[in-house]
Amino acid sequence: MSLQPVDFELLFGIAQWAIVFGSFVLLFLIVAMATSLPLYGAAGPGRVLAGMLRGFKEFASPSPRRVYAIASLTFKESIRKKALLVFVVFAVLFMFASWFMASPSDRPDMQVRNYVAFVFIAINMLVLPVVLLLSCWGLPEDIRIRSLHTVVTKPVRRNEVVLGRMLGFASVGTMILLIMSTVGFIWIQRQVSDNVELFCRVPVYAVAGPEGVKFLDRSGNPGTGVNVGDVIETRSFIEGGTRAAGIWTFPLDEQADTLKLESRFEAFRTFKGDMNRSIRVRYVLVNEEKSLKVPLPTFEVDEFGTNEMDVARKQTWTDEQTLEKKEVDIYDDLAVPSEDGRFGSLIVQVQCLDRAQYLGVSRGDFFIRLPDRSFTIGYIKAVIGVWLKVLIIVMSGVTASCFVKWPVATFLSFIVIIIGQVARGFLDKVLSGKQAGGGAAESVYRLLTHMNDTTALPANPLTTSIQLFDHALQHLLWMVKFIIPDLRSFGMSDWIARGFDVPWGGVMLPSIAITVGYFLPCVLLGYFSLSMRELEAK
Amino acid sequence: MNNLTSRQRKTACVVGILVLLVPIVILGMPAGDQAEASGGVLARLRAEHDLGENDLGQIDPTSATMNLVLLGLRGVAVNMLRMDLDYYKDTKNWAELRATTDAVITLQPHYIEVWRFLSWNMAYNVSAEWDAVPDRYYWVKEGGKFSQEGTRRNADIPELYWETGRIWGQKVGRSDEWKYFRKYFLSDPNSEEFGGGVDVAVNPEQKDNYLVAKDWFTKANVAEDAKIQHIMMRALFRSYPSRSQLDYADALQREGKFDGVTVAAWQQSFNEWTQEYGKMTFKAPECVLYMEANEDDVRQMADDNKVDEQIVQRWLKHYQHTTNYRYWRSRSHSESQPETGEAHKLIYEGERLYKQGELADALPKLTRGMGLYASIIDDHPELADEDLTAEEGMWAVLLWQKILELQQKPIPDSFALKALWERHQGLLPELEERFNRLGL
Repeated sequence: MSLQPVDFELLFGIAQWAIVFGSFVLLFLIVAMATSLPLYGAAGPGRVLAGMLRGFKEFASPSPRRVYAIASLTFKESIRKKALLVFVVFAVLFMFASWFMASPSDRPDMQVRNYVAFVFIAINMLVLPVVLLLSCWGLPEDIRIRSLHTVVTKPVRRNEVVLGRMLGFASVGTMILLIMSTVGFIWIQRQVSDNVELFCRVPVYAVAGPEGVKFLDRSGNPGTGVNVGDVIETRSFIEGGTRAAGIWTFPLDEQADTLKLESRFEAFRTFKGDMNRSIRVRYVLVNEEKSLKVPLPTFEVDEFGTNEMDVARKQTWTDEQTLEKKEVDIYDDLAVPSEDGRFGSLIVQVQCLDRAQYLGVSRGDFFIRLPDRSFTIGYIKAVIGVWLKVLIIVMSGVTASCFVKWPVATFLSFIVIIIGQVARGFLDKVLSGKQAGGGAAESVYRLLTHMNDTTALPANPLTTSIQLFDHALQHLLWMVKFIIPDLRSFGMSDWIARGFDVPWGGVMLPSIAITVGYFLPCVLLGYFSLSMRELEAK
Repeated sequence: MNNLTSRQRKTACVVGILVLLVPIVILGMPAGDQAEASGGVLARLRAEHDLGENDLGQIDPTSATMNLVLLGLRGVAVNMLRMDLDYYKDTKNWAELRATTDAVITLQPHYIEVWRFLSWNMAYNVSAEWDAVPDRYYWVKEGGKFSQEGTRRNADIPELYWETGRIWGQKVGRSDEWKYFRKYFLSDPNSEEFGGGVDVAVNPEQKDNYLVAKDWFTKANVAEDAKIQHIMMRALFRSYPSRSQLDYADALQREGKFDGVTVAAWQQSFNEWTQEYGKMTFKAPECVLYMEANEDDVRQMADDNKVDEQIVQRWLKHYQHTTNYRYWRSRSHSESQPETGEAHKLIYEGERLYKQGELADALPKLTRGMGLYASIIDDHPELADEDLTAEEGMWAVLLWQKILELQQKPIPDSFALKALWERHQGLLPELEERFNRLGL
């Protein structure tokens, strides 16, 4: 399955962040003031506001020197706690990795995928637990052995303690990550066969939204693709030998003498047909306004491989209606004016030519390929993805350790990772109602009564109350969705493993935005929690 | 304890360790190189019950290491990997599927059903997902190689040898792509790596796929001598080497090879079917029997088993029916005759000429072929009931009638194979559909 482009709108993300953050601050204020009334009477809300103001003032003027001092002490402390022992496991893993890997006779694409996946799984599995444990244990341990007393009695503010701790743990994580990723990079270069070229494609996908990819049905009218019964419904299928087609609209941001089109479609046969050749496909460059339909040479699909075609800027073609030979320029004649690309948009129709055979397509299957970038650049981006995850874990761990003891903080941060990365897809499916079998209570009911998850629940008071309960839980889940970071975009290694550069807009930017977005709430929460915490309570 | 000094406590610990070492040594001392009786109690028990890794097959240090590292969580890890495997199959992530297959087997190197399922999954399921025939062949090979690896790690399991034979025989030789697969078996499509020759990991001796399958089925039978198999009835399981030889001869014929090699292959098939497989003894519920038996043999078997002759007859009939023994015996015997080869050749040539539009040349070939074919069926009447024989005869008649129609000649009331034609009218709709689909 091809990688699918992800659309991310920064302004929408920032607005959503502001709403969620503002709501929490407001909620916090209301709760704090309501709690202060019985404690301090009418002066309570004033004291809360004064406390908050003091906090914001302290935030406005942190001392970089003190933050650095705490960070450097945190770094030394981590080294003293033998955090670097993780390199021993790392070394052992890489010494024996080739035992576990597929054989060298594997196809080149399989080799690269497996090696890159191994390196990043190893790095993730080793760096993240170390950083998680260090950041969750640090402050509670300081409180337990009372070394924090000697710090807070000095002119060091609590926000500086939180910041310093975060910076220190992040530095340890960064150092470990740098060394491991460098070794991993060299290892990949040495492992892949000499005939395998490492590079990163730079794709330009169809524009986002419904205009990006459209379909024509077998009569040539706007419609949808055909479902051939694939379990994963990412691809729609174009019926061959009819007027059915898929229509991609590509933004044209730069001009070149040759445009490289690359696709990786799926073939679906309703009968074997001629087994000696694959299903035939052709692209047609379209400009409806100028009534231009320029067919490109037909080719046979290389299923699960790549179909590459270089398209010259100037195209000589035979008009299928008038049979006249004509010449067109992709940018001057075929490009459609639009806001998506600087030079407009290029519309490409994809047709399957074999009758009763089908061509499986999705948005990510077909793109304009810009000049390749080096594998190193993609690799560095993927490492940045892991690094951002390290930062999120450090922030989460240090913040949690400001208000709970280390076992709870560790568990909390672990849950953040699990929900953010592993269970996020499931969470989305539950909230969108796409998860068969209903919510938690309904699932238990179905399990106990041996009821299929697609069978409708019987109407009775018990099932009504079960659904009400699940409905209430869904609201809780909805909050969880907005509080816990979505870490899926942080896993960038899949892109380079499949020979693609890590896209900036849909992958790098959301990951950076999420990390930056969590920084302020984490530091604020950590600061106020540490300020209110009774340090004598171990 | 509190009254002891530090030195005394340490000494007590050391003594304790030494005392505990004694039962550990007695129980767990590894076996020596030579005798089975050497080593500790556990080593001797392992040797006695064939439970040691080296009794099962080639030792894989990776598997051992992984299982050690995972402690008791192997089952959990395998479950997760199997779920990943299904996900990769659904999402068509083949590289990940291949790597996960290896990971699963690393954790379960002696779980036979896992070997069987995963090899079949690649050879049959994954290969069918690919559109290009060379790609499909690649995955058939992956499945077969994986199964071969299973036999190395589990040397005494007959099922794994049999699965390997099935992939090289049935999958390569009988799937829709058999013409290409059989060719690729001798000349791999990955010319970059194999230079147009064979993949030596699969076919080091450059043999026909059915003969390679025969070797694996023979190994399965050798393993079955020592260990019971759980796939099918024993009489069927043991028939596979001889069946592969029959399939080999049949494949040569399907490919239009009617020379001495094919006749010799059929002769060898007959000999192996009757003299090797036919003389193998099987334990039926009431007697021990072999299938190549005449009346004297039946009498002798009844005496040996101390049962009535009718009992032996009943079980003999049952076994022969189950294994299709009589048909293959007659078929291989008839195909060993030069005139049978000639009949096939004439029908094959007639069809080829018909496809080329040379109707005038095609008609006499088909007429002669049908005549010879009818005489073979007269000699071996039991063949007339078999689908393969009936199909070929019906197909010849269909072609012959089509030519007469095109030549605007009447179809005679009497013709060779008329009895077969009337007897198997039920096959006609399917054959006509194939006829039309091929655009004949």
